[in-house]
Amino acid sequence: MNRNSVAAGVSPPGIPGAWSVSRSISNRGLPMRAVARVETGSLTPTLSRRERESRATLRNTPKPQPSELWRPVPANAQLDPPKPAAHVLLLPPGEGRDEGRPLDSSHPGSWSASRTSTLFTFLLLFILAALIAPAANAAKIGELTDNSIRDQALRFLTLRDPAVRYALAGSMLLGISCGLLGAFLVVRRLALVGDALSHAVLPGVAAGFLWSQTKDPLAIFIGAVIAGLLGTIVVEGIKQTTRLKEDAALGLVLAGFYAVGICLVTMIQRLPTGAKSGIDKFLFGQAAAIGPRDLQLMAVVAVLAISTVLVFYKELLVASFDAAFARSIGYPVRIIHYALMLLLAFSVVSALQAVGVVLVSAMLITPAAAAYLLTDRMHRMLLYAAVIGLVSGAMGCFLSFLGSNLPTGPLMVLSGSALFTAAFLFAPRHGLVTRWWNQRSNAGRVRRENTLKTVYRILEDRQFHGEGVSLRELAQRRRETIEDASRQARDLVRHGFATFHAADPCVLLTPVGRQRAIELVRNHRLWELYLTHAAHIPADHVHEDAERIEHVLGEDVVRELERRLNYADTDPHGRPIPTPNAVLAAGPVEATRRPPAGYGR
Amino acid sequence: MTAPPPTPPTATPETPPPLEIHDLTVAYHRRPVLWGVDLAVPAGKLVGIIGPNGAGKSTLIKACMGVTPIAGGWVRIFGAPLSRAHRRVGYVPQRESVDWDFPVSVMDVVLMGRYGKIGLFRRPSRADRDIARACLDKVGMLPYANRQIANLSGGQQQRVFLARALAQESDLYFMDEPFAGVDAATEAAIVTLLHELRDRGCTILVVHHDLPTARNYFDMLLLLNLRRVAFGPTDEVFTYELLQKTYGGRLTILSEVADAVRQHGGSIP
Amino acid sequence: MNLADLIPPFDIRSVLIDPWTTDFPEKGWILLMGFLTSVACGWVGQHLLLRRMALMGDAISHSILPGLATAFLVASFLFGQRTDSSHAARDSSVMLVGAIGAGWITTLLIGMLHRRSRIKQDAAIGIVFATLFAIGVVLITLFADHVDLDADCVLYGEIGFVPFQPTLTAFGIPLGPVPVTRMAVVTLLTVLATLLFYKELVISSFDAGLATSLGIHAPTVHLLLMGWLSVVVVSAFESVGAILVIAMLIVPGATASLVAARLPTLFTLIVVHSAISTVVGLHLALWLDCSIAGAMVVAGCCLFTIAWAAHVLLRARDQRHLSADIPPSSASEESTSTALT
Repeated sequence: MNRNSVAAGVSPPGIPGAWSVSRSISNRGLPMRAVARVETGSLTPTLSRRERESRATLRNTPKPQPSELWRPVPANAQLDPPKPAAHVLLLPPGEGRDEGRPLDSSHPGSWSASRTSTLFTFLLLFILAALIAPAANAAKIGELTDNSIRDQALRFLTLRDPAVRYALAGSMLLGISCGLLGAFLVVRRLALVGDALSHAVLPGVAAGFLWSQTKDPLAIFIGAVIAGLLGTIVVEGIKQTTRLKEDAALGLVLAGFYAVGICLVTMIQRLPTGAKSGIDKFLFGQAAAIGPRDLQLMAVVAVLAISTVLVFYKELLVASFDAAFARSIGYPVRIIHYALMLLLAFSVVSALQAVGVVLVSAMLITPAAAAYLLTDRMHRMLLYAAVIGLVSGAMGCFLSFLGSNLPTGPLMVLSGSALFTAAFLFAPRHGLVTRWWNQRSNAGRVRRENTLKTVYRILEDRQFHGEGVSLRELAQRRRETIEDASRQARDLVRHGFATFHAADPCVLLTPVGRQRAIELVRNHRLWELYLTHAAHIPADHVHEDAERIEHVLGEDVVRELERRLNYADTDPHGRPIPTPNAVLAAGPVEATRRPPAGYGR
Repeated sequence: MTAPPPTPPTATPETPPPLEIHDLTVAYHRRPVLWGVDLAVPAGKLVGIIGPNGAGKSTLIKACMGVTPIAGGWVRIFGAPLSRAHRRVGYVPQRESVDWDFPVSVMDVVLMGRYGKIGLFRRPSRADRDIARACLDKVGMLPYANRQIANLSGGQQQRVFLARALAQESDLYFMDEPFAGVDAATEAAIVTLLHELRDRGCTILVVHHDLPTARNYFDMLLLLNLRRVAFGPTDEVFTYELLQKTYGGRLTILSEVADAVRQHGGSIP
Repeated sequence: MNLADLIPPFDIRSVLIDPWTTDFPEKGWILLMGFLTSVACGWVGQHLLLRRMALMGDAISHSILPGLATAFLVASFLFGQRTDSSHAARDSSVMLVGAIGAGWITTLLIGMLHRRSRIKQDAAIGIVFATLFAIGVVLITLFADHVDLDADCVLYGEIGFVPFQPTLTAFGIPLGPVPVTRMAVVTLLTVLATLLFYKELVISSFDAGLATSLGIHAPTVHLLLMGWLSVVVVSAFESVGAILVIAMLIVPGATASLVAARLPTLFTLIVVHSAISTVVGLHLALWLDCSIAGAMVVAGCCLFTIAWAAHVLLRARDQRHLSADIPPSSASEESTSTALT
């Protein structure tokens, strides 16, 4: 009760109200022995080193040789995907190129359980170390008047203050458990179930408070979990027994339970003891109000979440991916679903104190969604979601400590959203900026290769007399201005395809450039020939198609085309199809700079 | 909701058939979709399940697999109730039934076929991986083992599901429209694989909706339209009269009755 | 603290009679406000339910907050600090602009997340509204001097203060407290718009493709609907808060759709539902001495529960009938009846 009354008390002037609790606790002389063990500064390096090590081990484990995996499938098995050239070739640019690397960095059997669990264990140990720290005796807490941002940051980072340690450890723990379980919500398209669940716990919080007559974390925890589970059961019930769709069921539960909760909360606040209970803190959350018992609860929940995910990974995975199949192999899908909901309720409730009812769903969804953008494998997604949750928890806690009187929940959510935005824009494969950049560089490559081809065509038209192609010729052929032509010529030079004579402005192909140009022209003409011969498309229809395809043809496809076309040497328009060997005979390729694309890759 | 089914007769002395269905009834909401179906499939047969849309073909399979609750009757698999025969049954659900954006690789999906045999608290062993790899190789998808499943064509996705079923190493397979939306090459490949499995003594039930090919693909046919219309060797069953009975007039009558049943007293929709 | 303190004794006079007699001038406004809010929300919410987008209401009601905060902030910098409360019209327009802006931004952001990445719609909604709401809370806390909003008010509103708001007069005739007048206008427009554009709305909800082929641009209808949703939500905001408004959007329509199947009946039933839940809610709140808006929603949810229970019971009865009606077949009578119960 003492702490609670402090929590609602007026903060001394000059001290941010949000952290008044922290200070009062430190005044009361709460313990700090092993402060040195929980330097935040060491957190990130430790983690990342672990991660690097585990990745390194991953890489070192023997894996089947690529050749073994790529071995041609025996001809007798009719099931082998017959790779019909046309089928592959008609893929739009970009997709076909992906074929080349089905075996990228990771091990074929990708759930390397032991490594990931090691990682989790270390993460957990680290947080437990942070938990043990407060169990010690109080040293002198620094002056309470430091309120410049720098001093505040220092106070936070040195973790001198036990309340800071509680808040930080709590925020990190809740980040982990929410991120981990939220990942299952996101992949199962149940994100808004998390939302409904988190609003539905409010009446439970109020009931727990009424039952225990104080802000006893355990009573509130039990009440809230029961309310949350009841909420998910009602959602299922509405969906199964009425025509109402999932969105309506979720909205009904969310708002209905919340309304009951609001009524109870306003009734409690009317009570003599209720007014200073700080129960309204459950709406927006205040990490500073995390006490030792809250922290124990959070630790238990986090350990439970992590161990459940580790132990029942395969059950959770298959039930999430393909519930019908899971049921067909005898898994109790319904039990798994409700077990997941129970765990979710646990983590939502343990996060309430710090994030608040309204925003806790974001801690479930945002880190998991960010992780979803970063990777294509469930186990990695779980790991990333936990780490992102942890980081956003810690960041939110830190920001709320810096600013005056800001509730923790919104700041944690904003930290998570910032990380999500970063993932949305810059994720290696799914990021918006990344994709835009790839498209751009792809477009640049296509433009460059077209220039190269033009140079070749000009040379071909003069039967390869003279090496230089003047900018004017280039510009005329491409129907462009001299400036554009010279810009493209410079681009060729920059990529090692050509050299440029400034005195008599003309372009000279390097051997590399010459070879690439021949490849392109050959691809173009082969494809035209293939379309007219095999697909019986009129000769005047094939040029446009070939213009697109020539940039993406791979070596094996070209071989296949040649074979099917009986190594023909003229295209439908009567022009010769050049062969790369001729060039190789003409002069050795300088290996200084390989062209960035082509079938030699 | 489900009353205990009538006690099945005690097992006959000879080896029980892979699949025995007695008086199976299934209802969705209030509309019956399968009424009193009886079936006993002999071992080592490739059976096609044929019938018009909404005839309960998929429902039959789902009910046998315990995916859909059974409202009446019973299903025995190798003489045992399904709960004791999970390990001997493989299942290929419809391709649309899963989210292909799910963050798993082809290998992960095929490994799921082993999950039924692994048991609680344990992870796939190296042996399981080898089996999964062999199955992938068999459907020609090994080069794609580490792809995320969204980056596959429809036919390739179906092959992955097939590989998962193979990895289950079952004696009885249920396949729900494995030919839907796949290219001709994959279709031919799947048929070859099915024949291969059948020759090894497996029993396979396949939901199929293309009449012309059904005749060539399957040893036996089950004509289904809410009730069992006919079941027997393809040559005997694939007749004009029986097909007419399956697809023709009876369809309208039965569905009218079903609708009438649904609407009975239905002031509430 | 005693649990008995929590539930006050039931005093018939103060709970049931006074609000209709001595207190009526005050409680009448509350009732009217509750009723108008519920009808407007219920009608708009019914369109959302038809489009299976009930949770867009959730998203927009949350993201209104930063819109309001920004609008008030900008207004206070542009026009200076508000000195008296005579600027009702200006306040209303500021609110509307902020709300519509926030609503459209939310809709567009969700669409962008959903289309430009593999994030599914549900996760996109969850992320967007939580982020915007968090921004709103931070803005309110940081600029408490400039923004006339209170975080608690945002969460459960205060319909009880409605009668004490300044009265709006037009042409010398006192119309009523500002929020009630505003809500009345919004409700009227909602009803009119639904009646006028009934077929466009229904067609584009039911089948966007058909709507496009008939020359109705479904995305535009969607954006307009979302904009109007923002207007309704923001008018209701002050009295019921951001989260209870979701209940007002969904509960009436959901209850009605358990009882009736045809759209015109649904819209009528929503009005009935609104009236009952408002009156019952007010009495409940007076008895329990709790948040009035909360109690109104609880009353609405009770109506839903009753309708749901009736629905389930009737269905069970139908099934008993059904089992007797199954035509005799090769299946034994007994197993068929177990089948369908």
